[in-house]
Amino acid sequence: MQLRKAAKSYERTLDRYGWLFISIAVILLTVFMFYPIVYSLILSTMSSKGIVQKFVGLGNYTKLIKDEMFIKALKNTFVFLIIQVPIMLLLALILAAILNDKTIKFRGLFRTGIFLPAVTSLVAYTILFKMMFSADGFINTGLMRLHIIKQPIPWLMDPFWAKVTVIIAMTWRWTGYNMVFYLSGLQSVPDELYEAAEIDGASKIQQFFHITIPMLKPIIVFTTIMSTIGTLQLFDEPMNLSQGGVTGATTGPGNSLLTLSVYIYNLCFKYMPNFGYAATIAYVIVFIVAILTFIQFKVAGDKE
Amino acid sequence: MKKKSLSVLLVLSLFISIFAGCSKSQPTSGQDNKPAEKSGKITIWAWDPNFNIAIMNEAKARYTKDNPKVEIEIVDMAKADLEQKLHTMLASGVKEGLPDIVLIEDYNAQKYLKSYPGAFADLTGKIDHSKFANYKVGLMTVDGKVYGVPFDSGVSGFFYRKDLLEQAGYKPEDLNNITWDKFIEIGKNVKKATGKAMLGFGLDDGGLMRIMLQSAGQWYFDKNGNVNIANNEALKEAVKTYKAIVDADIIKKTSGWNEWVAAFNKGESASVVTGVWIIGSIKAEASQSGKWAVAPTPRLNVPGSVNASNLGGSSWYVLEGTKGKDIAIDFLNKIYASDNDFYQKILVERGAMGSYMPAATGEAYSKADEFFGGQKVFTDLSNWMKNIPSVDFGLYTYEADAAIMANMPDVYSGKITVEEALKKAEEQLKNQIGK
Repeated sequence: MQLRKAAKSYERTLDRYGWLFISIAVILLTVFMFYPIVYSLILSTMSSKGIVQKFVGLGNYTKLIKDEMFIKALKNTFVFLIIQVPIMLLLALILAAILNDKTIKFRGLFRTGIFLPAVTSLVAYTILFKMMFSADGFINTGLMRLHIIKQPIPWLMDPFWAKVTVIIAMTWRWTGYNMVFYLSGLQSVPDELYEAAEIDGASKIQQFFHITIPMLKPIIVFTTIMSTIGTLQLFDEPMNLSQGGVTGATTGPGNSLLTLSVYIYNLCFKYMPNFGYAATIAYVIVFIVAILTFIQFKVAGDKE
Repeated sequence: MKKKSLSVLLVLSLFISIFAGCSKSQPTSGQDNKPAEKSGKITIWAWDPNFNIAIMNEAKARYTKDNPKVEIEIVDMAKADLEQKLHTMLASGVKEGLPDIVLIEDYNAQKYLKSYPGAFADLTGKIDHSKFANYKVGLMTVDGKVYGVPFDSGVSGFFYRKDLLEQAGYKPEDLNNITWDKFIEIGKNVKKATGKAMLGFGLDDGGLMRIMLQSAGQWYFDKNGNVNIANNEALKEAVKTYKAIVDADIIKKTSGWNEWVAAFNKGESASVVTGVWIIGSIKAEASQSGKWAVAPTPRLNVPGSVNASNLGGSSWYVLEGTKGKDIAIDFLNKIYASDNDFYQKILVERGAMGSYMPAATGEAYSKADEFFGGQKVFTDLSNWMKNIPSVDFGLYTYEADAAIMANMPDVYSGKITVEEALKKAEEQLKNQIGK
């Protein structure tokens, strides 16, 4: 009897302290995470001019379908996604496979060198690229001295080349970052597989496609999802590459660098502040990310 | 028991330390003295250390000489950062941390005044607005109430290299009151004679288009604030002129402010058509001293277009409900709305042309400028300032600019006609702003 009572009270105190400890995290999470999520959903049903708000229900969503600028931003974002992500991941995979070869000298040096861009600040590297890719910048001068091109390439002045510049910049910045994931994944691939393949007469390329890629599948899925999310939230590069316009209001020539995140920024801070409409687009991004992630899981075919 | 109370204490202290971090530290702005005694502290937000900030520092020195008890803090921020911060704070409704005086670009003035009603102090009757250029006061008026103190003018001019244009056979008299068609013709001859471009030109920059529009007394919107793009003859002409300038191959293509300034600083382009505030950047290249001159802005080939226009310019606004509001108004009144000598000094030192009309009769304004070959630059510019057609920028200038400029690459390449581009822009803009 005595024992049971003691045990019960002990249980109660345990519970109480448990709740007390967890409450900090819960309160902070509620205030800084759940509340904003719910509030922005409410906000997305409002049309606002600064603090003058008006309830429009689903009006923002119907407006979205007809908004050319939103569609342009969506298209631009998907161009970056479809072209840049595969190039980058394939490059990262190849580099990882090469640098995993133990016979290569100065492996550590190369690995560090390729990873190094991932350490630089997004703004700093973008501004560096803006300088390098300016009309009389390093790249144009270099290519002309080498007689590869006759006319300077209008990197940041032409809608097409502006996109190319962003893709080059992003690939430079993120390839090393993804390579590290693959490298760490490759450490768990047993050497015996490669040895066996070699004995069977498989070439390096066959080994890459039939051993490296299947063994790295979970990591490839992971990096694809992370890169997809990252690209959908693309902001720093287009913002900074297009900034410094004299009095312009477009993002890049003909809005060619306008991404969804930049559009959200513009709606809040550059144009008439319409926080409601901006929240709507934020929700659309969440929705797209969810769909794409789901598809990627399905395509990858992982049962877990 | 001891252990228990100890752990409770620990948890409590954890809580306290977390929430202590959240509580706002009270800034020490505005002592509790009555503002009538003119002591306290005011905070001012502005951008550009070489222009607005430097000028504000001069104003501060003048004011604190007479009011030693007033402390003035001038905060220098990038323009985009300032706007972002101001939007965030005004939208949150928190007055804490807001400045007493803030600089706002004219194109954005109505947007702030109408998006945040009650956030800015009504200065009607507190400042004598009749002393300022008319068009500037119009931009800060909402429902008959005037909300700011006009500051610098963006009166535009056709700044050109006299030496280069002379090589092409043009004398200063030939450049007075020309049209843009004539400008393009001159550009072609300059290119032929000197090999230099006529203009540094950002293909995605709508600044020049706004100069053209305002010279015709038109804007992207009509007087009632309705979108006026597809059937706007002045705008149609302006877009055609943009295409003509690009097609004529008289430009050095630039991207961004730095390249644009470098085009004339390096002597790669023979002229620049923009606001008076560019003078500081032109003079930054000392080796070109004496080679420059300024002519009136070219006009559009449409009825009603004059050889005077405007680009940019900004004004000072006082926030409502801050502790330093009365001092802030007094400060702006004593310096920006009365001190003629102040305007002479900032003109000489910074090339800042105020829109305070009495200042135009001061000696600095009638001085010959050696950099411009002895031309009385500011006398000319202030004469043109009087002719600037007054237009209402409305709330959506940047939205309209973006909508039009987004279609310009297709116009340049000939993929769509000017009419089609403007029609597309109008539809897009109407959907975006809900009109």
